[in-house]
Amino acid sequence: MSEVESLLVQLEPVTPSHTVDDVSELLLHDDYERFLCLPVVDAGRPIGVISRSEMQKIYMSMYGRELYGKKSVTQFMNRKAVVVDMKQPMEQISRYVTSNIKFPITEDFILTRDGQYSGIGHVVDLLKVMEGKLTRQSEEITRAYRELQASQSQLIQSEKMASLGQMVAGVAHEINTPLGYVKNNVSLAQDVFAQLKGLVASYDELLALLMGGEAEETAVVRYLGEIDRQRNDFWSVYPAEEVDNLFGDTLFGVDQISEIVLNLKNFSRLDQAAVDEVSLNQTIESTLVIAKNVLKNKVQLIKQYGEIPAVKCSPSQINQVFLNLLTNAAQAMDGNGKILIRTWADERYVYASVQDTGKGISKENLQKIFDPFFTTKPVGEGTGLGLSIVFKIIESHKGFIRVASEVGKGTRFIVALPHPKDSRHANKPELDTAQA
Amino acid sequence: MQTSPSSTQRKLNPVTSTVAVNRPTILCVDDEERILRSLRMLFAQTYNVRVTTDGNEALQILQQEKIHVLISDQRMPGMTGVELLRRAKYIVPNTMRLLLTGYSDLDSTLGSINEGEVFRFINKPWDADAIKATVASAVDIALSLGDMTLPAPSANSTVTDHILVIDEDPLSAVQVRELVHEHISAGLVIHHAATIEDVLEALRQHEIAVVVSEVRIGTADVTTLIKLLKRFNPRTVSILLTTFYDASMLVTLINEAQVYRCIPKPIRAKLLLRAIEGALESYWSFQVAPSLVKKHEVEVSKETTENPLASRIVGFFKSFSAQRT
Repeated sequence: MSEVESLLVQLEPVTPSHTVDDVSELLLHDDYERFLCLPVVDAGRPIGVISRSEMQKIYMSMYGRELYGKKSVTQFMNRKAVVVDMKQPMEQISRYVTSNIKFPITEDFILTRDGQYSGIGHVVDLLKVMEGKLTRQSEEITRAYRELQASQSQLIQSEKMASLGQMVAGVAHEINTPLGYVKNNVSLAQDVFAQLKGLVASYDELLALLMGGEAEETAVVRYLGEIDRQRNDFWSVYPAEEVDNLFGDTLFGVDQISEIVLNLKNFSRLDQAAVDEVSLNQTIESTLVIAKNVLKNKVQLIKQYGEIPAVKCSPSQINQVFLNLLTNAAQAMDGNGKILIRTWADERYVYASVQDTGKGISKENLQKIFDPFFTTKPVGEGTGLGLSIVFKIIESHKGFIRVASEVGKGTRFIVALPHPKDSRHANKPELDTAQA
Repeated sequence: MQTSPSSTQRKLNPVTSTVAVNRPTILCVDDEERILRSLRMLFAQTYNVRVTTDGNEALQILQQEKIHVLISDQRMPGMTGVELLRRAKYIVPNTMRLLLTGYSDLDSTLGSINEGEVFRFINKPWDADAIKATVASAVDIALSLGDMTLPAPSANSTVTDHILVIDEDPLSAVQVRELVHEHISAGLVIHHAATIEDVLEALRQHEIAVVVSEVRIGTADVTTLIKLLKRFNPRTVSILLTTFYDASMLVTLINEAQVYRCIPKPIRAKLLLRAIEGALESYWSFQVAPSLVKKHEVEVSKETTENPLASRIVGFFKSFSAQRT
């Protein structure tokens, strides 16, 4: 049964031939107790309703019953009864009924099918149906909201994974290069040592010969000749200088790898306090090491660090902000370009700016760059969440971020974080450390 | 330092200046000098080793000297390895090209196939013995090619050659047929294979000039088949069609299948046409000068051949070639 059908109450209507007395008799009957009014139908078509309250008015007036009792109900009925067709959708019916029914409610409404009388509908029932509907809708909205929240956190996660992937690619490259020559050099050192072992073995044999006391001169000469040949071979294949370089390079490479690992640790700050007092100069430097791979080939870096106080922040989040800004800057420059990094402070804020000579952002796009999911990158290359996360991080630090851009010339982002000595930021930053 | 001989003695035999005239020459290019020093020491006993950190200088050296093998890093300031190898291909086509890279991303792998047409793609860190063997085979091929020039594709196009399209989607074959018949030659015969059985049947019936293939059909991995096809039928040139990319899969397809082109789906007609034209030219040049086939020599890897599908295909090729002879 549809919602509309559930409203239908079948009721024998009265006709124009019924009198006021007839109707009053019906209304007094127990079966009619629930009805506020009775429908008046002529040849199958509803022409009005006669309500209990209208009847009361008649009978309460002086000689009402005597004067009007024998008259047709049509004289007293409400000709503008609320009539709705059952083919209409529930929403439309409820909207029509609620806006046309009079207050206080003295009448119910008539239900028809193709203009023909079907029965009566109670306003109370209608309200009940509508209430159920609203509850269901609000449940749906709640569920949809929850799903949206879940998918948003999933997207933030996928944005993190995307930047992580980029970082891993860079770091893998940075590590594999020293690893390449370190591994090769160790293989070479094995060869060097194998040759040296042969040479030492020849010396041992000569020594044994000499110690034996009965060394014939020709044998000694032969051994010396052999040793000399091996020595020359050795030095020609492995000149001392080159072997020294080999070991020097190997140690250098291993140091490089440890430095990269250290920087990774500094960048992620997994083993450090979530909230710390750090200088932005320092966070930018450790981010640059990680971003090096993105910037390496085409970007000229200009750093103008000012004397700035340490700010209380979540360094891993601020690292994420700078990594995002630097990566964006590098991506905005197709050919060669420059990135200018500046830091400075006034009495209210500590500032850092990242400025590139890239392709710039058009005015219409500039308004949207901090919106979640806004991206100009091809599908699959950007989630459009990077800058919206940057915005959120800065916001949670009680700071602000500004952008200025000119198409063809470049873009500048300014990040501002509260100055530690400024009492106006007395309310400590609400750092969302759990999300870091 | 006690063990080192006097400096005069060392200068008598500095390894880098012993330019033996008859030795093959290899050129290493990397922006990290330590890599170059390491490679030079690894190869100095066997080859003349030239090194540079600069792509442009590498191009100059290629023009001035006979270089048998060129080994280049991918990420360098100024010029990427793929770009260097692409240019080298035009200047000195018989110099074997190897890419040595710290990270195999899509740019470098796709570029190595479609632009650099590299002989081998090697990841850093490399294995000293493996790279020696790879360079040795590259040097052998370069020596055997000598100064041979690519024969001009003559009136070959009248020949009825066979192109095999391997894809579950029959539309790919339709597209190839239309393109080829309209723009290259109506004489070319296009076959469609939707299963491994179809492929083997087509190979039994015809000598296939060009394979245009998806990487998977159903659950079957076609890359194994493409690798083995190149190993047993080195003249066949393969073009890969794919909707998804996996850099490490592409690396093995370079080294073990010498895939000629990798084309993203949905297919762009012009790109596919150019790839098929190039592949046919390659195939025809092998007909005229069979020794050129060596350029496409593939690496044989255990991982590829040690699975049931692979042994079935290997069995097919072996029994098939036995029947032929």
